[in-house]
Amino acid sequence: MKKSFAGILILGSVMLALTGCGKESTDSSSSGPADKNTFTVGFDQDFPPMGFMDEDGEFTGFDLELAAETAKRMGLTIKYQPVSWDSKDMELKSGTIDCIWNGFTMNGRENAYAWSRPYMENDQVFVVRKGSEISALSDLSGKTVEVQADSSAEAALKDKQELTASFGQYQTVPDYLTALMDLESGAADAIAMDNVVASYQIKTTKKDFVILDDPITAEEYGIGFAKDNTKLRDEVQKALDDIAADGTAKKISEKWFGKDITTIEKEQGEN
Amino acid sequence: MNLDIGIMVSKLGSGMLTSFWIFCFTLLLSIPLGLVIAFGRMSHNAVLRTITKAYISIMRGTPLMLQLMLVYFGPFYIFHVSISPGYRYTAVCIGFVLNYAAYFAEIYRSGIESMPVGQYEAAKVLGYSKAQTFFYIILPQVVKRILPTITNEVITLIKDTSLAFVIGVTEMFTNAKALASGMSSVMPYLGAGIFYYVFNFVVAFVMEKLEKKLNYYR
Repeated sequence: MKKSFAGILILGSVMLALTGCGKESTDSSSSGPADKNTFTVGFDQDFPPMGFMDEDGEFTGFDLELAAETAKRMGLTIKYQPVSWDSKDMELKSGTIDCIWNGFTMNGRENAYAWSRPYMENDQVFVVRKGSEISALSDLSGKTVEVQADSSAEAALKDKQELTASFGQYQTVPDYLTALMDLESGAADAIAMDNVVASYQIKTTKKDFVILDDPITAEEYGIGFAKDNTKLRDEVQKALDDIAADGTAKKISEKWFGKDITTIEKEQGEN
Repeated sequence: MNLDIGIMVSKLGSGMLTSFWIFCFTLLLSIPLGLVIAFGRMSHNAVLRTITKAYISIMRGTPLMLQLMLVYFGPFYIFHVSISPGYRYTAVCIGFVLNYAAYFAEIYRSGIESMPVGQYEAAKVLGYSKAQTFFYIILPQVVKRILPTITNEVITLIKDTSLAFVIGVTEMFTNAKALASGMSSVMPYLGAGIFYYVFNFVVAFVMEKLEKKLNYYR
């Protein structure tokens, strides 16, 4: 017994030395985003069709494909880093990801990031069960409404105090799947979420959900960079403009949404 | 979208591997560290005793999730040291080891303090040194006594690895969630449950064998 215990002790300290020191040294050598040739995209992996895990177990989605194409044109290697959505700002500020590119709503967050120009329009909407008695915002009175924590739907609803006050129960859940499962099972009567995501979910899962006609808010998606990282932002924007100009963005959009819903070129025209 | 069982299993399997590594590192490092902390906690030196007592109190009194975030983001936000992406794996190991060592320390203490004083006195009479008394006489008995409690912690540990995603480490449960939302199916959760259960079944089996093996005086 004592021998095996001493063995564990020795093995433990050796491991400590190996992992502790070994990793520490590689850390210091590879620190700083400036000297690397990867483009690390932070995203919420539970967010189809923008960024998610497909049936082959690979990360995919409209935003990730667009990001991969952008990285390719910038001569960088793309790295997909799924992040816990609640910690996205800390990840970005500490430099462990280069940007947040994930159906990332600009409205209400204008001053929190260095933004690319918007590339897509989106509404925040309510999703309800087909055949339910809810057909307008006023019907939500007394109902159970769910929203993803820290999402832009939640932010949009913060400005609609009167509406949220009319809800029977206003529930925050960790992700959209939980909300959709609750909606299907009857635990929730409505979900507030992104139109782009809701439409895709309804289309692919063929579940009996409908989107209410009245949106909560209209908004735009952009790519968020750390506030002091305008250099990378500008490089990405340039690559993105190229992608839009030669029709690649349109192709990717058609693949995911059946039509071109990007707004990159239009924005360019306005400027 | 139809769920391919093979892909699901391979994805969960690769996540399980990450969970397994967290599990191994945590056990290998926190079991010895826990013993050291237990010594500190039982020390006659008041300073040492107070420090370790505070350490245990903080580690047990705050959520592991919070500790992981502090270990990972702390260097940047508190000390303004830039952290590299690879640091998240180191941070997970550090966070788990520090947390579990506190629990193990208290388990050791309960075992060590349960030993009758008579054994120390007898050992002293027989000319054993303090270290000899502890390693030859006390510790082997302590290990036997605390094994069932250790098994409890070990089983909790593998389930706790699901907290690692809070700092972006994709372990098994993260993969299960991603698969579930990508396919709008709850099958991956069921799969994840089976993976956890089978793993813990093996752990419990091994620990039971070990207990029986150490039961040589009964």
